[in-house]
Amino acid sequence: MCSFDYQTIMSISIYGSSVVLMLLGLYAVLVKKNLIKIVIGLSIVDSGLHLLFVAVGYLHNGTAPIFSPEAVDKVNQMVDPVPQALVLTAIVIGFATTAVALSLVIRLYKHHKTARIDQIKSLKW
Amino acid sequence: MNTLALILLILFSGAIVAFLSEKVSKFLPSLIAFISITAAGILFYTSPADVFNFKLSMAGLNFTLKIDEFSRLFVHMIIGLSWLASMYAVGYMQNKERQGTFFFNMLLSIGGMLGIVAARDLVSFFVFWEIMTWSSFLIVVWTGADFRRTGIWYMVFSAMGAYAMLMAIMMIYSDIHTFNIDEIIAAIAEQRLPHLVEASVLLLFGFSVKAALMPLHVWAPNAYTQAPAAYTAIFSGVLSKMGIFGMALVLLSMLKFANPADFSLVYINGFIGQILAWLGAITAAIATLYALIQTDAKKLLAYSSVAQLGYITIGIAIGTPLSVMASLFLAVLHALFKGTLFLAMGAVERQAGTTDMTKISGLIRRMPWTFFVTLVSIISLAGVPPLAGFVGKWMLYEALITNGNVFMVVVVFFSSTAAFLYSYRILFGIFLGQEEDDTAHVKEAPLSMILPMVVMALLLIALGTYPGLLFDPIAQGMTVLGFENVTWQMTVLSNVWGNTVNLMYISTTIGVAFVAALLFLTLKGRKGSRNVGTKDISTSGEIPLEHENLTYQLDFFKPFERAASPLYRRKMTKIYDDLSNGLDALFDFTRKIYTGNGQTYALYVVIFLVALLIYVQNTL
Amino acid sequence: MSITPVHYIAVPLAAAFLIPILSKFHKETARIIPGLVFSYFLVISFVLMRQVSNTGIISETIAGWRAPWGINLVFGYFSGFFATLMSVIGFLTWLYSYRFKLVDSKPAMSYYILLMMLVTGSIGIVITGDIFNMFVFLEIVAISAFSLTSFYPGRDGAEAAFKYLLIASFSSFLILLAVLLLYTQTGTLNIAELSTKVHLIPQSLKLTILVMFVVGLGIESELFPLNGWAPDAYSQAPAPVGAVFAGVVVKGGIYATMRVMFTMFDINEMGQILLILGLITTIIAEVAAIKQTQVKRMLAYSSIGQMGVVMMAIGIGTEDAVFAALFMMFNHAIIKGLLFFSTGFLLHNSLTKTIAEMKGVAKKFPVLSFMFALGSFAIVGLPPFSGFWSKLYFLMAAADAKLFSMIALVLAVSIVEIVYYFRVVGVMYYHQPDESLPTKQPGLNAYFVMGFLAALIIGVGVYPDLITNFLHAAAYELTHKTEYVQTVLTQFVR
Repeated sequence: MCSFDYQTIMSISIYGSSVVLMLLGLYAVLVKKNLIKIVIGLSIVDSGLHLLFVAVGYLHNGTAPIFSPEAVDKVNQMVDPVPQALVLTAIVIGFATTAVALSLVIRLYKHHKTARIDQIKSLKW
Repeated sequence: MNTLALILLILFSGAIVAFLSEKVSKFLPSLIAFISITAAGILFYTSPADVFNFKLSMAGLNFTLKIDEFSRLFVHMIIGLSWLASMYAVGYMQNKERQGTFFFNMLLSIGGMLGIVAARDLVSFFVFWEIMTWSSFLIVVWTGADFRRTGIWYMVFSAMGAYAMLMAIMMIYSDIHTFNIDEIIAAIAEQRLPHLVEASVLLLFGFSVKAALMPLHVWAPNAYTQAPAAYTAIFSGVLSKMGIFGMALVLLSMLKFANPADFSLVYINGFIGQILAWLGAITAAIATLYALIQTDAKKLLAYSSVAQLGYITIGIAIGTPLSVMASLFLAVLHALFKGTLFLAMGAVERQAGTTDMTKISGLIRRMPWTFFVTLVSIISLAGVPPLAGFVGKWMLYEALITNGNVFMVVVVFFSSTAAFLYSYRILFGIFLGQEEDDTAHVKEAPLSMILPMVVMALLLIALGTYPGLLFDPIAQGMTVLGFENVTWQMTVLSNVWGNTVNLMYISTTIGVAFVAALLFLTLKGRKGSRNVGTKDISTSGEIPLEHENLTYQLDFFKPFERAASPLYRRKMTKIYDDLSNGLDALFDFTRKIYTGNGQTYALYVVIFLVALLIYVQNTL
Repeated sequence: MSITPVHYIAVPLAAAFLIPILSKFHKETARIIPGLVFSYFLVISFVLMRQVSNTGIISETIAGWRAPWGINLVFGYFSGFFATLMSVIGFLTWLYSYRFKLVDSKPAMSYYILLMMLVTGSIGIVITGDIFNMFVFLEIVAISAFSLTSFYPGRDGAEAAFKYLLIASFSSFLILLAVLLLYTQTGTLNIAELSTKVHLIPQSLKLTILVMFVVGLGIESELFPLNGWAPDAYSQAPAPVGAVFAGVVVKGGIYATMRVMFTMFDINEMGQILLILGLITTIIAEVAAIKQTQVKRMLAYSSIGQMGVVMMAIGIGTEDAVFAALFMMFNHAIIKGLLFFSTGFLLHNSLTKTIAEMKGVAKKFPVLSFMFALGSFAIVGLPPFSGFWSKLYFLMAAADAKLFSMIALVLAVSIVEIVYYFRVVGVMYYHQPDESLPTKQPGLNAYFVMGFLAALIIGVGVYPDLITNFLHAAAYELTHKTEYVQTVLTQFVR
């Protein structure tokens, strides 16, 4: 039998939840017919991805990556700052995309009087 | 400046100037076209032979243009016929709309043809080929009468041919990394060309389209009919000969110098050449049959052109010295007589408003000169002595018999005989018969149109008496192809069995007989005969009413058509129609992939991603 | 102040902030400032290309962090080709649509800002040396593109934009995931450094990353099962934007694919797959194009088909093939530009934009129709227009790789292409016009733009050496990545 320490459980749960989030979002995008739900699904996938980013940079008991005189000897315990920088950018982009998507949904609903994606098919073939 | 480049430059810039000059005056484009072709012709005939050599390195490719003795033969045809046709076109196109476009494309296609015969590398050959194709396409659709059927079909078949050529060019390139024809010939001789058979077949396919060989001919009758007559003369006369030129290039020029022990060469020259010859023979026979039942003179001539190109193909495909000579001789003649005939029909169309043989008749008194040139070229077409068509056919028969293709002789002989029927019909339908009231206003075409036709008719008569005039340049051209010492004489034809025909005697006899008959009739006419109109036939017992049409263009060959009706039942066009309908349905089915549902597209992405991941992980 | 690549990004971003403020004082600024920015792009491109030919690849660091740590911008022949092409198309589009929405300035302002962002983002993709930065620029392009697609409220623009957004989101997820995986494996985001470290990644993970890039970037570059959004977006966006999509946005996607496949990884790993995908894309797109009744949709499918051929050339992967691909992209940008621009006025007042509505337009708009016909002739690859040469070079590259069956299929599909383009030309020239909609005559600016493109098509067609040397240098630079890597990584070491 093997026993998991706190750190392993932690990372498994973080990675696992990010994967679960992505799959959940994917399900919503591919199966739900309502435009709003699809947009929500996209956001969920996005969140899962962001969580994955954070998880990659995470270090148990790590410190902030700031080279102050006190922290010089803790270089090995610093969390990786790059994924955090990336995730900030990605969140902003995801926000913008969601905003555009929602405004499009409003436009579509006004135009087609429905929010079901399988009924909005005036452009095809 | 290089002379050859200058000639092409004159034609191409002339085309652009002609296009733009339409804004200034309607009359100007035709004049500019005529002047450019004249200038190109003068330049060509006043320069020594060795200056037609042009090399250019551009875009990592080497372009070589050179006019050798063989191409010179074709250049004579192109420049001569184009010059006469452009002179004719000045009058013919008078008062028509969009002349700028017409003359732009006409000059462009003439330049393209000159480029083709001068090209010594396959890329420039292809470039000029395509320029010729699209410019002639634009002329075919110029009248706009039937864009969908005629225009699109012409372009699709041309594109099929051109892309087959391109494919062959690429195969050759992948083997030896050059486009230069001389280097390709060297490579063939050293057996360094593994794709030789495929490339040759594809090239021949491409050229067969232009030469309107049997299963690929369906574009030709419509396209020839639709193009304005001034251009159809060039189109049928020389542009279709570019296919023949290409076949000669492949079958004779490229393969003749090669190692005879190479199996693939034997295969191409023997088996494929034989197939091509048979296709030519079948084309000749079937197109002749179709020519017979046409009621529109232009369309009749179009089918006749297809048939004549069949003969010419046979000669090239058989590939013996005599057959090649016969074929080239017929090619030049065909350019002359078919050029004349199309020009004459253009004159009829311009003066009488139609070329439908059921609607016009008895034009002989109205358009005597046109009748005269038609008569001469019809005799030449039918292959009757004393005119030169006879000589060409004679040589072709002899070549086929000595080569052992007796069955082919039968087919050719059949179609040649049937050609009498339709040649007679065109002559009779339009020029002879009763004069109708509605053609009474018709006048003879203006001099600028008559002159080129008469020049060509006189050339035909001269060649009938002295075929040697033409044998000389052909024999010189054939030395380039590797046929040394082809003998010829100025006026005497001889065959391998020792029979000789002196054409001088024949034409002198016929000429004397003609003059004697003319004199006799004129002298006899002096005494006591009266002039009667064509409707004044009451002496034959029954008096026809005024409105009764007694000309026999109506139901002219009805019994024949009835007898031959099973032959007409199967139409090649139907097969192509079915094919295109089937493809259309398939395309329509395929595009249903784009369902219009965004979610489906997303599903495609996911499925594709998963499939690709599985594929990649398992195989790479 | 000397001109550096960062001007491509800094200037338009500053302008985008300034326009809303300045247009409060003077309405015309919303139109004029983007024009100035695009003109400045042309200046930058010209100056930088001169510099590249003198001193080789330029690598610029941002904010003083030197290369593998900070973000850097790289400008060589290859990037320069794309940046210049995009600048030219951007400028021409601006000039063409100068009179666009003249009456009320509010939509015009957003149009010009979005157009500017679209071009800026695409140039950003091209000049950045950092893979995450490339992702950010891809997103900037995507968001501007969604907004431009849905620009006209009255039409089905929103539907097209939503589909585009849905599919493009997948693209961004996949690219982001791939970037993350790359980072966890190599610890860097710099393309040059990545290319020296990708061999450290375990094979199966590397293939997974590659597949993610292929699919993610395949969405941007319109590969077959991933391109459902493309025809809708092209057909609903305003006509000049269609030209930008074809000439700038897709090119950004293709550039990213090439950069990833050639510089970061080795093309041989994915070449076969790209080749087959490209072939399928071409076949399906051309087949779908022939059945279209709307002109812009037909042009969209034709664009997809052309990109399929470009992808095939990339898949072949030799220097000659890359050269052919670049040449094809150049031709596609200028020819499709001309086609979209001329269609824009030919069907100006029509909502449905069907081919049938173009009946007999040649009588009314001889010049515009001539431009469209010229574009059709050029795009199907007839000599002496520029499209012929790129096709020839592509075939030569394919013949070198002995891909005869592919050549045969591409040529067969070209016949289909001829049919549908010539059919439209036939409708324009040889049908009698019905009582047609009151249409708008183009202004001098539009005529200048189309005349310039037509001159370029004929000029390159008659004398391809105008650009071939330049393209050869670009192809050489891409297929020999050592110079790129060394320039980026060693610039501060000495």
